[in-house]
Amino acid sequence: MIPTLGHLAVVIGLAATVYAAGAFLHGGHTGDAGVVASARRAMYAAFGLAALACLAMVVSLLTHDFSVLYVARNNATTTPPFYSVISLWAALEGSILFWTLLASGWASLVLYRYRARLPALMPWVGATLALGTAFFFAVMAWPGDPFVRVTPIGLEGNGPNALLQNHPFMGLHPPLLYLGYTGMAIPFAFGMAALITRRTDEEWLAVVRRWTLVPWIFLTAGIVAGAWWSYAVLGWGGYWAWDPVENAALLPWLTATAFIHSSMVAERRGTLRTWTHALVIATFVLTLVGTFLTRSGVVNSVHAFTTSGIGAWFASAIVLTLAVALGLLVWRLPDLRDRRPPGAVVSRESAFLFNNVLFLAVTFAVLFGTLYPILVEATTGARASVGAPWFNRVNAPIFVALLFLTGVGPALPWGGASWPTVRERFAIPILAGVGVVIAAWALGVRDAAPLGILGLAAFVLVVMGDEVIRGARSRARSRGEPVPVAVVRLATRNRRRYGGYLAHVGICVMAVAIAVSATLGSDRTATLRPGESLALGAYTITYDRLVTEPLASDPRVIETRAELTLAGPQSGEIATALRDYPNSSTAIATPVVRTAIGEDLYVTLLAFNPTTKAATIRVFVNPLVMWIWAGGAIVALAALFAIWPDRRRTAVEAALAAA
Amino acid sequence: MRPARLRWLLVPLVVLPLAWLLFTGLGRDPRLIPSPLVGKPMPAFAGATLDGDRFSSTELAGKPAVVNFWGSYCIPSCVDEHPVLLDLVARHGDDLRMVGVLVNDTPDGARGFLARYGQVSWPNVLNADASISIDYGVTGPPETFFVDARGIVLARHVGPLTPAVVAEQLAALGIEP
Repeated sequence: MIPTLGHLAVVIGLAATVYAAGAFLHGGHTGDAGVVASARRAMYAAFGLAALACLAMVVSLLTHDFSVLYVARNNATTTPPFYSVISLWAALEGSILFWTLLASGWASLVLYRYRARLPALMPWVGATLALGTAFFFAVMAWPGDPFVRVTPIGLEGNGPNALLQNHPFMGLHPPLLYLGYTGMAIPFAFGMAALITRRTDEEWLAVVRRWTLVPWIFLTAGIVAGAWWSYAVLGWGGYWAWDPVENAALLPWLTATAFIHSSMVAERRGTLRTWTHALVIATFVLTLVGTFLTRSGVVNSVHAFTTSGIGAWFASAIVLTLAVALGLLVWRLPDLRDRRPPGAVVSRESAFLFNNVLFLAVTFAVLFGTLYPILVEATTGARASVGAPWFNRVNAPIFVALLFLTGVGPALPWGGASWPTVRERFAIPILAGVGVVIAAWALGVRDAAPLGILGLAAFVLVVMGDEVIRGARSRARSRGEPVPVAVVRLATRNRRRYGGYLAHVGICVMAVAIAVSATLGSDRTATLRPGESLALGAYTITYDRLVTEPLASDPRVIETRAELTLAGPQSGEIATALRDYPNSSTAIATPVVRTAIGEDLYVTLLAFNPTTKAATIRVFVNPLVMWIWAGGAIVALAALFAIWPDRRRTAVEAALAAA
Repeated sequence: MRPARLRWLLVPLVVLPLAWLLFTGLGRDPRLIPSPLVGKPMPAFAGATLDGDRFSSTELAGKPAVVNFWGSYCIPSCVDEHPVLLDLVARHGDDLRMVGVLVNDTPDGARGFLARYGQVSWPNVLNADASISIDYGVTGPPETFFVDARGIVLARHVGPLTPAVVAEQLAALGIEP
């Protein structure tokens, strides 16, 4: 009954989105506001239907209704309720269902927000969003039906993927990432609408910038949360492996970040406009490619779900989207000519241009590395894989150059900078950077990578601090405000600018944490018998006993735990385990992570001998790791600060609208 | 062609290579994982069976063998291939030997599965410590290894067996399908 209801919701949802797409297109041609309003309501209905279908799936999972194939494959009678609910996105068909909910939700939100604004643009925005949502409903109606039934009905199900039920972060990382992915349809829809209606003006840019930043915040948070999950669950002490699907999330992030920067140039100087449009298209296409890689089983990955017929649908959708979008762009190229000549070599716009070139270089490197195995097999028939060392070596120098630009760009004036300005702005930051390098050297840091990153980060932070103080001082002088008040008012009245600076600070924090944790950590592996100890740095870990018992929350899962006593900067009882899930042939690690401001202690059980009770334990001391997550949070919050509606400006706009 | 028209070439230049790459990528079967065991002698194993006997892989010598890794929780793949296995043994039981190996399963679970989907005539090794799965590099049930009469592994199949796969492997083993 309930699965049938879910399937029905999907079918009606498909009809509603197809109607909405047709009505929006008709309304766009004729300017009939009534038709556009009905199309808009059809999209709201599609959102409601997607929510209903998701609810039907969640109820089926919670009631362990194994007549639904998806439930039989991804749920068991012993699965705890929390993991039953989040199994909605634990496998292919459910993810597509959840994806449809988010895509139709974003579409409804945008159509509602702009229901009375931009009347020429919105029907085309609506048509693009409706077609995108219709595609996902169609996938669910044909090759990826989440409500497929099975007979005979099993008494017990397969249970969720072991890796996905081992950590509550699975409840956070995929929704954040999906919100980012699906939201990137909004700037794309505005991009298409602008090309069709030839309204590629500053008003359009402001709207698209805002609606790129919203999903960008979720994408950033989703990527960082995924890295954190990988660190806390997989037990290898790292957080980023250049897995194809990690790359798939990074690719649209890179192009969206490039867009956020190039759109500023397009808005201020009227240059880089074709380029900015191309980035909007690339970002959306890359989110589709990311989904394709994850869902079709084209690449082997911990994230790849299963082989299925959905791949051909996605491949066709990607090709069609790219062909139409690129065709529109080429058609409108004459409209997008630069409105003024490019700026001087040493100017803010060239800093932005370099930034974009570098972002593009990383995008190509990551894309090439990810698709290389497919390319090799298609041409030579051999199987190949590209490992993390290649990605690190290729991308590290580009990221270092980007870090340098985070400091240089904001401090250079638009148009062109004179030599005295350059000297005035950069003399102190360069000295500060050199000073930090010397200080770190004196403290015993010898590796080039952390030394260089520390110096660069100090340079960038001093540039940012100098910018803020300079602005605040001049405001304090002219308005007679105390300097701290001036800083707050300056920032809240120039949210975009100071939000951007804060995001750069977050990037600096992340860069330092990544460089230091990657090079200055230490680790040790030892096989211990009960009572024996292992020392690493200031920590001593004593192995007390080995305990094997079923998990309280799910008795089908057998946990073997090494109980340890920790002494050193942190002390207490800790336990690190290997869990045997009935549907996984490999045991899943449950590392224990003790996080502190300066460093993490990370203990993981590699192997054990049930007869001798000997346990092989690996201990890592990872310096500054929590600052990677903290830096990511700063970046996301900074972007939120930047797009937060300005109360005064909103008031002015309302007054203008009323007048 | 005038330069203004030439810019349209950009569309196929970008779209066609991508289309080619994506669609050839689709032809890849990630299940086709080459096993390092192919062409090598099968790893020996022994252990208690579901019926309470003991089984040793030395009993397989002299005839082609099929080693099937499965679990009662593996739904629907193991359910789907179960009739294929029953049919294989019913028709070619004299020409080959069949052995099942449980992957992370309990004896009760496995007995329940056989009671529900059909009892089998071949031994099923409990493999409680998963050592056989590890030796064979099993990533998840069902997986099946085809071994010739000399004990050399001929092929590994990941995923449920189908009549077509069985026919192909029987031919490779030199058995008339």
